[in-house]
Amino acid sequence: MTFARDGYRTVVVGAGIVGLFTAYHLAREGGGPVLVVDRGFLSSGSSGRNGGGVRQQWETRGTVRLAREAVQAYRRFGREFGFNIWFRQTGYLFLAENEAELARLRGVHALVASEGLASKVLDADGVARLVEGIAPGAVVGGTYLGSDGTLYPFPAIWGVYEAAKSLGVDIALGVEALSPEVRDGRVAGLRTSKGTVRAPTVVNAAGGWSGDFSRRSGLDVPNVATRHEILATEATKPFLDPMVVRASDGLYFSQSMRGEVIGGVALPHRPGTARGQGSSTAFLGAMARALVGLLPRLGALGVLRAWSGFYDDTPDGFPVIGEDPRLPGFVHGNGFGGHGFMLAPATSRRVALAALGQRTDLDPAQFSPARFLGAVAPAAAERLQLG
Amino acid sequence: MGEPGRRFSFRGRARSARDGETLLAALADRRLPLLHRSIQYHRPQGPFCGLGQCTGCLVRVNGRPNVRACRYEPAPGDVVTTENAWPSPTWDLTATIGFLTPGGVDSLHGLRRPAFATPVFQRLVRRLAGTGAPPTDLAARALAAPGVDRSVEVVVLGAGTSGRAVTAALAARGVRALVLDRALHPTALVDGDLLPATTAVFLPPPAETGDRRFTVLAFSEPARGVRVCARSVVVATGSYDATLLFGGNDRPGVISADAALSLAGPARPPPFRRAVVVGGGRRAAEVLEAHGPRVEAVVAPGDIRPELVRVANEHGVPLYPRSLLVRTGGRRYVRSVHLRARGDGARMALACDAVIVAHRRIPHAQLFFQVGAAMAWRPDVAAYGPSVFAHGATSVPGLFAVGSAAAAPPSDASGLAAAVADAIVHGSSVDERATAPSGEAAPTELLGYYRELLRTPGHGRWTACPCVDVLVKEVENAVRAGYRGIEVIKRYTSLGTGICQGRYCLPDALLVLSLLEGRPPQEVGYITQRPPVVPTPLGAFAALPPVPLAEAAP
Repeated sequence: MTFARDGYRTVVVGAGIVGLFTAYHLAREGGGPVLVVDRGFLSSGSSGRNGGGVRQQWETRGTVRLAREAVQAYRRFGREFGFNIWFRQTGYLFLAENEAELARLRGVHALVASEGLASKVLDADGVARLVEGIAPGAVVGGTYLGSDGTLYPFPAIWGVYEAAKSLGVDIALGVEALSPEVRDGRVAGLRTSKGTVRAPTVVNAAGGWSGDFSRRSGLDVPNVATRHEILATEATKPFLDPMVVRASDGLYFSQSMRGEVIGGVALPHRPGTARGQGSSTAFLGAMARALVGLLPRLGALGVLRAWSGFYDDTPDGFPVIGEDPRLPGFVHGNGFGGHGFMLAPATSRRVALAALGQRTDLDPAQFSPARFLGAVAPAAAERLQLG
Repeated sequence: MGEPGRRFSFRGRARSARDGETLLAALADRRLPLLHRSIQYHRPQGPFCGLGQCTGCLVRVNGRPNVRACRYEPAPGDVVTTENAWPSPTWDLTATIGFLTPGGVDSLHGLRRPAFATPVFQRLVRRLAGTGAPPTDLAARALAAPGVDRSVEVVVLGAGTSGRAVTAALAARGVRALVLDRALHPTALVDGDLLPATTAVFLPPPAETGDRRFTVLAFSEPARGVRVCARSVVVATGSYDATLLFGGNDRPGVISADAALSLAGPARPPPFRRAVVVGGGRRAAEVLEAHGPRVEAVVAPGDIRPELVRVANEHGVPLYPRSLLVRTGGRRYVRSVHLRARGDGARMALACDAVIVAHRRIPHAQLFFQVGAAMAWRPDVAAYGPSVFAHGATSVPGLFAVGSAAAAPPSDASGLAAAVADAIVHGSSVDERATAPSGEAAPTELLGYYRELLRTPGHGRWTACPCVDVLVKEVENAVRAGYRGIEVIKRYTSLGTGICQGRYCLPDALLVLSLLEGRPPQEVGYITQRPPVVPTPLGAFAALPPVPLAEAAP
């Protein structure tokens, strides 16, 4: 038999940070037994491919609050989960190249500050003090929040994986979820590449593949997988503390604990998961030009490796959390738009509650799957989908 | 012979190099210089590969970090310093980290408490991490060079025997190929256009439409970006000497056969006097033929092939077949090797000043992985190479593999070259029968070797990954904690994520994992080989003109 049991209370599709955290919370809330399936190996999806940024600067209040909760959770992570994720709160710096961009960032600052976070608006000199060697005239200013930071994603995955397992969660890797088994109009189980398993609830936490899985389940969802590329340079001694983000072209980069400069830049790619998680010549050129244009001395630093992963984008930039009204027992925990790692500690408990049929404190207009069905008036969009 | 011409400073002292001599050769003085300390525990670490791939010869030149001394020819007035050792690689006080943490540092679980101290730990660890100071603006400006953008019918990657044969065969059919070669001074080419000192670093899957669907990114030393669009690509990048796992396998004095054969020249004697050669086949024989009088002994993990016995007898070199190379001895440099006969046999030590690793050659397979070609496990060398069909064709139409990169026998180079050229020029249909060994593997000989070797007490403190300083026991702990497969072990331990990107450590890690997980190496998985093939200056990529996005959204 492939799975430890014939049936589970909940099957989570996706062993990324969202799926693992959800399974962990399900087990803690007494929602067991829980099974997690994943088509790849642990960390093979976007959870093992992101830049490790964790920020609280957003354009909508709901997201700022979730992010603030996530930061607190990551601060406690080492003590609670036994793994050092090297969560380094050395700030996020948003750059503005002109006054219009700075005006937009001032709006972000006002919102973030109103939530009690010590956000700052900086002029060009203030930026230059934080980013040594920035090209003169490259920016007019920016915003900075020192309690934002970066972490090392892998140990976070191991930590939640081991914690979930120790709570009795079964995790089956190399098992692809095909589609839910539906009986009497509701979820009765999950068909997988290794056979069918019974469960009244299936959580779609498949990240970049969640749109594919929902559609295979007969649910028309607006999730779109977009490929985002990233690179890491050779390691040097520390010269950069904050994560630096430029809204105009989606450039973001930070210097990791190991000293590598890690970052990416937004490029239009054909949507969908079909072309895999490789790199492109266009990205290497665009990223190098963006990085060297901003920090000229990086021209003499070697690119060590490049890779890519999928953002699971939604039309309004908010994640999708909650049971799908069209298929009882099918629960969404997806649509994080490249920010699943940032938000997972805060959102996953709510995904778990939704899977247990309980109410959450989330605004349905922002987060519920019903908002795409015309059942709920949609809220303002979250457009700060960067870094 | 005249006075050496190029005067530069090394750690504040005046040195000089002959024209065409690399920095590493110029700094060698009967033995290779000690330029580097391991990244975490600051063990002395020597140049190993001689090919610009390992971590052992990184220096800072004119404000640019991580310059490979074996790939750099000093210019008059250069200022060369060492990195990541204080005050010097010879006397490095930061090596106390290694003494204070004999069991290694557990950065996965350690340094989490007390919470208020974590920012201090983080600052300290960041200070210790990273090889050198970041580059200076001046260094970046001095390196900046306009990019090269070419579009050709055929690009040949590698101007070795096989690459040249294909180039000549193409010329005979009226096609003049562009040839990229990594050697700093390759022999001139008359029947093709040669870009010397140029490393192909990225070959993505070809575009779905268009005439010249392949794009190759490359760079010419030190930092000129090169982009080539082509209809056909011939990969002739050759093979390299793999490493071997043993105690002290990155101690200065342990070098690859590549290094032993390339670092000696007419002007400079080889950087050793009493070497122990590790290997039982043709490669070890090549080393003996070149350096016989300086070889103390030949140690082979398995049996010794007759051709090697013959050469060894000519030079009067003793042979130690079926021997475990357990560890090297010595403080900063290799002074001895410690052996054990297979099957729990006799132990012995041999005095030496170098260990030359020449036991197996592995195809340079990175470009094949990148382009998405079908790969096959090669049990003879315990590594992956491309699946090769008739006429050197691969599973990617328009992409050909020749020479040792394809693990093809070198004897039929000219015959194959003609067939490849015909296939390119006349578009012969691809014969689907693979000529390379299929995935059905005979037991890999090295597995048995490692099964015995890893019973050695204390092996957990050996270095599994010299670039990142990952210990064997970290790999064992990961398996014990339930993690499976090389992809996950790589992410769990950081093994294979350093300067060489796993080129040296991962093939052997695959075998170790095969033993620990109790399944064949092919099932442990292979690593996604990520671009670039070798670290490439951002400035080289930045100098390439922007391209219209081939796969941009409509």
